[in-house]
Amino acid sequence: MRILVGAKRVVDANVKVRVKADNSNVDIEHSKMSLNPFDENAIEEASKLKEAGIATEIIAVSIGNAKCIDTLRTALARGCDRAILVETNEVIEPLFVAKIFKEIVLKEKPDLILLGKQAIDDDANQVGQMLAGMLDYPQSTFISSLEIIDGKIRTVREIDNGTETLEVTLPAVLTADLYLNEPRFIKLPQLMLAKKKIIETIQLTDLNIEQRPTTRLLKAVDGEIKKKCTFIDSVDELVDILKVNKVI
Amino acid sequence: MKILVITPKIENSINTNLLHVFDAVTQLSGKCDVLVLGYQLDDLANQIAKYKVVTQVLKLDNVALEHILVENIAKQIAEITKKYTHVLVAADSFGKNLLPRVAGILELGQISEVSKIISPNIYQKFIYAGNVLIEVESVEDIKLLTIRTSNFMENTQLSETSALITTIEYTNAISDKIKFVTNKVEEKAVDLSSAKVVVTGGRSLGSADAFDSHIRALAKHLSAGVGATRAAVEAGYVHNDCQVGQTGKVVAPNVYLAFGVSGAVQHIAGMKDSRTVIAVNIDQTAPIFEHANYGMVADLFEVIPQLLHALHK
Ligand SMILES: Cc1cc2nc3c(=O)[nH]c(=O)nc-3n(C[C@H](O)[C@H](O)[C@H](O)COP(=O)(O)OP(=O)(O)OC[C@H]3O[C@@H](n4cnc5c(N)ncnc54)[C@H](O)[C@@H]3O)c2cc1C
Ligand SMILES: Nc1ncnc2c1ncn2[C@@H]1O[C@H](COP(=O)(O)O)[C@@H](O)[C@H]1O
Repeated sequence: MRILVGAKRVVDANVKVRVKADNSNVDIEHSKMSLNPFDENAIEEASKLKEAGIATEIIAVSIGNAKCIDTLRTALARGCDRAILVETNEVIEPLFVAKIFKEIVLKEKPDLILLGKQAIDDDANQVGQMLAGMLDYPQSTFISSLEIIDGKIRTVREIDNGTETLEVTLPAVLTADLYLNEPRFIKLPQLMLAKKKIIETIQLTDLNIEQRPTTRLLKAVDGEIKKKCTFIDSVDELVDILKVNKVI
Repeated sequence: MKILVITPKIENSINTNLLHVFDAVTQLSGKCDVLVLGYQLDDLANQIAKYKVVTQVLKLDNVALEHILVENIAKQIAEITKKYTHVLVAADSFGKNLLPRVAGILELGQISEVSKIISPNIYQKFIYAGNVLIEVESVEDIKLLTIRTSNFMENTQLSETSALITTIEYTNAISDKIKFVTNKVEEKAVDLSSAKVVVTGGRSLGSADAFDSHIRALAKHLSAGVGATRAAVEAGYVHNDCQVGQTGKVVAPNVYLAFGVSGAVQHIAGMKDSRTVIAVNIDQTAPIFEHANYGMVADLFEVIPQLLHALHK
């Protein structure tokens, strides 16, 4: 089984993102960047399948600027065998990320495409489903477990009031929830090994993809609203607050 | 403007998420068609037809949709979608799974988790775990929107006359590439997403037993939904579907009670629109207090038993 995984470079989860003074966009130029946490889960699961002798090759894909090479090195250290950078300095919307993935799928013909359920910057939660729709592949999204049974993949999905178990036939698209696994800690030898692995760079302009904006960003403002906290000392006061708010 | 709202049959009654989407319809223009999907829909279609915002109910009723798999419905929905300018669905696990697939088939952009309608083509939504609020314009001919229900009211206005119910023939091929195996429903006394009061516990509860005897016990007393931080879910105190936050549920109850919650941005993203927030944390510098109306610097293992005792009186 050959697996294609997504490796998006995003602002680190611990960074508090601020907007530019003119409210035109976010200000992330000097922010610490990381591999999207959900992609870590996807890569971890692919690596486990390889260790179990089920997967034969894991290919990581990142779409973005030249700095995504760092992100791909991390993906390689986490167990991917080779990587593809689709280089562009533009911000690519999920629809076109999916189209780019489609092109790569047609070229690489993986059996399984394992993406994160969402990127923690745009919080879109779209690419996997869009790609599955474009390829007419089955999809299982927000998965928290995966098992191979008779060549099919049995997945448990996290849904609103519990879980749903689906069996998908390959080729398929899966998207990882954070509960899929616990990404391993990478050590120096793996990082050293990753330096020897191959990263192929494709210019986005060399792919035959017609891009158009589907949205226009009009304004970005600080989304954090702080409240004025009144401190109380006793449970009696707490009971009073619950009464005033008609909880009891 | 022609608006379509899509809703699945989950139970035989109206899903409250649909009522929140109706509010978004009202903000857009006022009227919509509702496409209801599932098996044995007569009852549900009749209930939906009574709402004032509904002009027509499209009933797609087939045994193949008893458990809805997007592979068995997305292509047909993509075709139906072409007759509309706006397609709205709640940003719940059904909507998030379906609408981007439809968008992929149509090669159209999609906007996730709309929190406010500014104009027919301009919307507000959060990005970066709620750190940033943006106004975004869709330039697509068909706007495909998932609606963050907690930012919209429930529109329960009924009409004196029922809307027309039209049966749509099921034409989508059934995929042999995917099979529904089973589902597991976590029984809940109160639905978290629509709860008026939410009681949330964090990592510091220490065990599933302590979570039950403190957080769940208090929630039961207050008829509240049970929430949890990711740390509490990861520690195994409670199931994932109780997680509140960037990657869990977004809630906006009248009262949100947070016990032993530090207030990480990813958690705040899921509860910051709550009207009144009450936080109990042993650490006076915990960020949660910056997002609380009332704070108590105290040990939750002392506060909750005392509170339960006071409520028993
Ligand atoms: C990509 C990503 C997505 C995430 N998504 C989510 C999400 O959706 N939801 C979410 O919640 N988190 C999410 N997180 C995790 C988040 O960053 C925090 O780690 C998490 O919210 C912390 O949970 P906590 O407050 O229970 O634990 P901690 O941060 O460990 O805080 C425990 C708190 O309990 C207090 N405390 C300890 N003992 C007591 C006591 N006896 N009485 C009272 N207070 C006490 C402490 O002072 C402390 O403030 C995400 C993280 C990432 C990277
Ligand atoms: N620029 C990108 N490069 C690589 N993978 C991406 C990119 N954008 C999105 N993805 C993949 O798609 C998933 C979902 O992203 P989104 O739909 O944007 O929330 C991510 O977790 C990645 O696996």
